[in-house]
Amino acid sequence: MPNIDRRDFLKLVGAGGVSVGAGFMLREANKDATEYLIPHVVAPEDFSSGLATWYNSVCSMCPAGCGISVRTREGLAKKIEGNPAHPVNQGGLCSLGQAGLQVLYNPDRLTGPLKQTSARGSGSFEQITWDEGLDQLGSRLDLLRAARRGNRVAMLTQGVRGHLAQLFDNFMRQLGSQRLLHYDFNHPHTLYAANQRFFGQDRLPYYDLHNTRMLLSFGADYLTNWISPVHHSLGFGESRQGSSNERGRFIQIEPRMSASGAAADEWLAAKPGTEGILALALANHIVSEGNYAGADRADWAVALTDYTPAKAAEQTGIPQSTITRLADSFIDIQPSLAIGGGAAANHSNGVDTLMAVNVLNYLAGNIGQEGGLLLNPEPTSVVSQQQQASYSTLLEFAEAARQGEIDVLILNGSNPVFTLPQASEFREALASIPLVVSLSSFLDETTAMADLILPSHTYLESWGDDFPEPGMGFPVGAVSQPVVSPLYNTRATGDIILALARQMNVGTALPWENMEECIKDGWRQIYERGDAQTLAQGFDSFWTSVLRAGVWGETAAGDSEFTLDRSVISNIGVQAPEFSGSEEDFPFILHPYLSPNFYDGRGANLPWMQERPDPMTSVVYGSWVEMNPSTAKELDLIEGDLVDIQSLHGTVRAPVYLYPAIMPNVVAMPIGQGHQEFGRYAKDRGVNPIEILSPEIEPITGQLASSATRVNIVPTGRRSKLVKTSGTSRDLGREIVQFADVNGVELSSAGSNSIPITEVTA
Amino acid sequence: MSLFSRFMDGWRKYRKPGYYDEFDYHWTMAIDLDKCTGCQACMTACQAENNIPIVGEEELARGREIQWIRVERYWEGEYPNAKLSFIPIMCQHCDSAPCETVCPVSATYHNQDGLNTQIYNRCIGTRSCAVYCPYEVRYFNYYDHHWDSPLEQQLNPDVTVRGKGVMEKCTFCIQRIREAKDHAKDDGRRRVQDGEVQPACVQTCPSKALVFGDRKDSENEVSVAINDPRKYRVLDELNTDSSVFYLKKVDA
Repeated sequence: MPNIDRRDFLKLVGAGGVSVGAGFMLREANKDATEYLIPHVVAPEDFSSGLATWYNSVCSMCPAGCGISVRTREGLAKKIEGNPAHPVNQGGLCSLGQAGLQVLYNPDRLTGPLKQTSARGSGSFEQITWDEGLDQLGSRLDLLRAARRGNRVAMLTQGVRGHLAQLFDNFMRQLGSQRLLHYDFNHPHTLYAANQRFFGQDRLPYYDLHNTRMLLSFGADYLTNWISPVHHSLGFGESRQGSSNERGRFIQIEPRMSASGAAADEWLAAKPGTEGILALALANHIVSEGNYAGADRADWAVALTDYTPAKAAEQTGIPQSTITRLADSFIDIQPSLAIGGGAAANHSNGVDTLMAVNVLNYLAGNIGQEGGLLLNPEPTSVVSQQQQASYSTLLEFAEAARQGEIDVLILNGSNPVFTLPQASEFREALASIPLVVSLSSFLDETTAMADLILPSHTYLESWGDDFPEPGMGFPVGAVSQPVVSPLYNTRATGDIILALARQMNVGTALPWENMEECIKDGWRQIYERGDAQTLAQGFDSFWTSVLRAGVWGETAAGDSEFTLDRSVISNIGVQAPEFSGSEEDFPFILHPYLSPNFYDGRGANLPWMQERPDPMTSVVYGSWVEMNPSTAKELDLIEGDLVDIQSLHGTVRAPVYLYPAIMPNVVAMPIGQGHQEFGRYAKDRGVNPIEILSPEIEPITGQLASSATRVNIVPTGRRSKLVKTSGTSRDLGREIVQFADVNGVELSSAGSNSIPITEVTA
Repeated sequence: MSLFSRFMDGWRKYRKPGYYDEFDYHWTMAIDLDKCTGCQACMTACQAENNIPIVGEEELARGREIQWIRVERYWEGEYPNAKLSFIPIMCQHCDSAPCETVCPVSATYHNQDGLNTQIYNRCIGTRSCAVYCPYEVRYFNYYDHHWDSPLEQQLNPDVTVRGKGVMEKCTFCIQRIREAKDHAKDDGRRRVQDGEVQPACVQTCPSKALVFGDRKDSENEVSVAINDPRKYRVLDELNTDSSVFYLKKVDA
């Protein structure tokens, strides 16, 4: 053993220590970023590991515009909750809103710009850069604009509000194009038209479900998809068991029981499309009984002569005694409210039906009353409601495309190939457009037909703002802010538009660097219109407070005085609905309804929603056709038998579900499944009943009369297993759900332990 | 002391849930069936909060779904007088829970807050508790479930992801209760205030049909609700002494 003195020993120890340190640092330096537990050496300001950070924003899963608070941890979004400060949802949030996280983290998101490399629809795309993509589109737009042929550019977007809508408007105007189309399958065109005609307002009134004691709903599934379902659910709960001692009474009139029908005290099935006639019969009874004392009562008596309860009983199938009872209680129980929508509004007489509903509110004195219908003041901020394109407008657009009048189509989030009937031949019309560009985040059916895909951020990654419609009786706005940094090589829709504007040298009209600046600039104007107190705090502090609260509201309520234009009275009347197909060949009326899980199909790529049982039937992962058990017995069908549902315009195949609360001559199908694209969870699952709808329209608005298709049911002799989560649909005497009368005294649920016919046959 | 009275003392003690003389908190939920619309927002909120996996169509067809809270539906009558009622059912957090007595490894026990809790690390997957539970609210992991990337980025870091062979069920969002207790402690307060904790289902309920709170505070919303004349407990005849109260649906 060599002789080591003290100095050598210290040298060796020193050298050893240095090399160990160097080795450690070398290893650390070579570490993959993901190996670090917390990858931030200097964490961003709003990031502290182990603590949640909440961001307020706006839900974009449906047009209701609920406020959300998103919980993030370590820079990842973990949970969405309703923003308690937002007047629309007040902390509540529906299932689809909760599932917004799976839009953000969806495995099937488009991760960067793509270019179609062979024939359209072949699905062969290659990755390109943003510069290439924007250049390809921008140069094309620039050429068209320079040649004053900007009108050959069309933009088809899902319903968009706030400053993004203004940006679209501005951009298309700079381009010289009139063809900016907002399109949502569920947009209530007929409701807007009826209210416009009755109240002379282009905006929706506020329906005060919170305070009403008697609600008559003509087909409006206000708890699931009618205008603002979370707000209505709040109102329903409050009216039922809220601060008032008197429990609100809810009556639902529709051919197939919806969730709102199940929640109602009384569910009535009028013949499809005759809801308006029923409403006028109620009105007739109110006037003839002398329960309406207005100066114009003689005019009403004349206008309503043809709608006697006796006659209406024949037309609607609702007994005369029921009609008079409803009419009396609508007057006796105050405040009362009548609303209309859903299938009742989607017939050839949709506008007239909803006018008739307004007549009831007028005669009962519900307009401008608490618990009735409150007219919203003129919005003081940005234009709240964008003109939505109706079915007819889209048909005109498709025709223009076929005529070769369209050179470029820009799609934003809208999926018309899925949400338009095959009879519209929209998909075929796309073939005549030389350049189709999609800004969608997902490869949906329409995006699959695009030549160029410039994918945008999801709503949780981008800036935006929203001014909910209908208003809450006072101006409300909310800013939507990014809650996480973008996951992929995508861009905000607004940023794409601004980049295109720069490319076309129209940047002076759209001067913003990015969407954040555009939003901020818009809110500066809102701030400047504010009162002295608002102005005193300075814009930066105003902006921060809006972002922190997630919502901004002014208490100033507008004038909601209303006098009825007398010419309206003489124009009241409801024609019998028209159906496509003869009763002999097509004995059933098809009742397509928006799936509570998927809205108009946009939720079908979310695994949570696919595995969530349908609220009424508990079916998961598929499509089905609902029919009355007695109808099924006649056709010798049981649950799970595959049938063809044939209309004049096509056939879809689905298993039968025996639904106890549907009219015998009506069959119902949920909308939402049946995607041919749209990612692994949605693709090739179930069928889409929109495909076979007849292109009947409501003539005043041009809206698709989606409840006006007659179908035939043809058994195929084959079966398919319906996957359901519930076993028996009956209580069988177990008293799981118990009932009480209004005073809380227990009611026996007699007869509930009998085996139902739905299960005897199955 | 006679042998008999000693035995009776022991028996009474044994009958006390979790052997506690008194709970620290007595977390309770009240569900107003007259307000419930069956919308199932509670289910999705629960899935998001508690890292509940998607089992897929095939497994679901075998009845192997995992839904800590579910909405049951019951039809009554025939067309045109058919009626449909909804009832959300989750773990009832029984104070005399059949599942607790049957577990051979004490993986499920009663905690000091009156919660029926499940220790995943202890569970050996006998599934006896699921057999004994009259409410059918215990769900078994037949597989290690998989999240298609990047869906796993949504997983809540405060909640364990359960592996194969483990039983799971509603916890009344115990991670939120813990967080509220930590906050209360940090603030130098002794107790969690009413309204500081809301499980995910209660928080999201659009019609506010669900309320949650500590039953030991006799003034709060949940205490008012459970003294309502309409209150009842599901399968009360089994003497499970559950902590979830329902308010009867009004049939007017």
